Amino acid sequence: MAKTIAEGNEAIVKGALKAGLGFYAGYPITPASEIMHELSKSDIAFVNAEDEIASVSMIIGASLAGKKSMTATSGPGFSLMQEGIGLAHMMRVPVVIVNSQRVGPSTGMPTLAAQADMLQAYHGSHGDFVSIAFYPNSAEECYKYTIEAFNAAEDARCPVFLLSDAILSHLAESVDLDAIKVQLKERKIKPLGSGNRHFTGLLSKDGIPKTKDSLYYRQWYKSYKDEVMSAAGRYNFYEYIENKNSDTLIISYGILSRAVSEMSNEYALFRPIRVFPILDELREIAKKYKKITVIEMNDGQYATLIESFLKREVRKIPVLGGTVSADEIRKELRNE
Amino acid sequence: MNDLIKNERMPAIWCQGCSLGIVLGQFANVLAELGLSKENTVVVSGIGCTGRFAGYMNLDSVHTTHGRAIPVAEGIKRANPELNVIVVSGDGDLSGIGGNHLIHSSRRNIDITVICVNNEIYGLTGGQLAPTTSIGSVTMTSPKGSDIEPINLQGLCTLNKNYFYARTTPAHILHMKERIKDAVKWKGFSFVEIRTRCITRSKNPAFKTGQELLEWLKKSYKLTEENRVLREDELGMVKNG
Repeated sequence: MAKTIAEGNEAIVKGALKAGLGFYAGYPITPASEIMHELSKSDIAFVNAEDEIASVSMIIGASLAGKKSMTATSGPGFSLMQEGIGLAHMMRVPVVIVNSQRVGPSTGMPTLAAQADMLQAYHGSHGDFVSIAFYPNSAEECYKYTIEAFNAAEDARCPVFLLSDAILSHLAESVDLDAIKVQLKERKIKPLGSGNRHFTGLLSKDGIPKTKDSLYYRQWYKSYKDEVMSAAGRYNFYEYIENKNSDTLIISYGILSRAVSEMSNEYALFRPIRVFPILDELREIAKKYKKITVIEMNDGQYATLIESFLKREVRKIPVLGGTVSADEIRKELRNE
Repeated sequence: MNDLIKNERMPAIWCQGCSLGIVLGQFANVLAELGLSKENTVVVSGIGCTGRFAGYMNLDSVHTTHGRAIPVAEGIKRANPELNVIVVSGDGDLSGIGGNHLIHSSRRNIDITVICVNNEIYGLTGGQLAPTTSIGSVTMTSPKGSDIEPINLQGLCTLNKNYFYARTTPAHILHMKERIKDAVKWKGFSFVEIRTRCITRSKNPAFKTGQELLEWLKKSYKLTEENRVLREDELGMVKNG
């Protein structure tokens, strides 16, 4: 198949449609809006909703009714969606949420890229839950990992995040999407209108609220966590470039990893694609290097999680303010 | 009693004398009379005393986060237009925290029915001021009596070209049943406001028994058959579309 040009957001749309998207609700926001522009032209059920809380609530309803469902937003909208994210975890509803990140907090720098919602993606909603998130670094990967996000959502029966950023979402690249083959996961849960099930945000057993039973909560949480972790374990996507001449492993992800990829002659590189849960494979790989450096477009959010995951000190190189330069990163790396 | 209520879950958690049991029974009767069943109907609730409604229905039901019953219901309806989708929730849930969704789902005229049991107070959380609280009402957060005009649900629900709004009370039981039926049959967004008070939290007036509450409702409202803007003390139905 001949190559075409696609931007990250466009590739996300194509991936979602390939995965079997049947419903989209969203609220306009830079830099994610192109996703809803494209989907409004498609044949799927579509709502230009009143806000992001409505968007996330609608996709939960639509998913329960049997349609693979998605919304897309950026940081300010992602904050509003945290309520629905918790509900979808508690009710075990598969949905996909795209967050194309920009510089915050608040309205921040709407057109400039950041990776500063990592902790929000990890644990933005209240209560305990397990987050699954993918972060591609090219237009082709936006297509591929959108499909994988839908698959993981079906497998884990919970919300799955596809992270992007203002650069990746608008990055036009030559792509060959037909060459990317991903097996699709079909819906297993029966749609609404086929029984007397009660889907609730309350802790419940067989549809009956169990809100004062601590022991049952512990059992429920363990089985929920085991199920989501085991489903996530079938999506262990990462890229590792070994470097036997270097004592340093650089961890970077998403768009920033494109700049870091130029440094493979000087350093070993690890790029998680499934950024959450943190990949177990990293434990063994990290053992081979004296120093671990995390470079990311935020003030050390993923690095902090890596430190606690590896139980060792990690060097943090924040790339802030929305622009990326490989030269600046190199300079910073030498500035030890 | 028909098989649309989960009998094994009775009695419900609601206080003795609460109107919600009357609404539940009549609602189930309406569904049965219209031939609505597990195969074609979903009930959605938000949070609050009325929020527990969905869990007592013997069909697929969804108990959402606070205020989100309407957008969850709209998502369900858009994903599967064959389903009858009915929201039953409280006044705080639908007109306070979920007020924005009420405005916009009604504007989009999505074909769902919303039944709002309006007791003019946040009952489950201990009796605080709601958007629906009448002027002068003493609540936990308006100790001197509310001095704020309550939200005009009739006005909100009749803003657009097409609308269905009915007001009733559990004391006018046949009227309530028939208006719920009309609303479920209506093509487009329909809204039924069931006026009542909280048997436990309402202070002025306060009620000792359910019977006292029903008698007060019966005395406070009169029925009209006219398709025109309802006065504050009137029960009826206004519709266009």
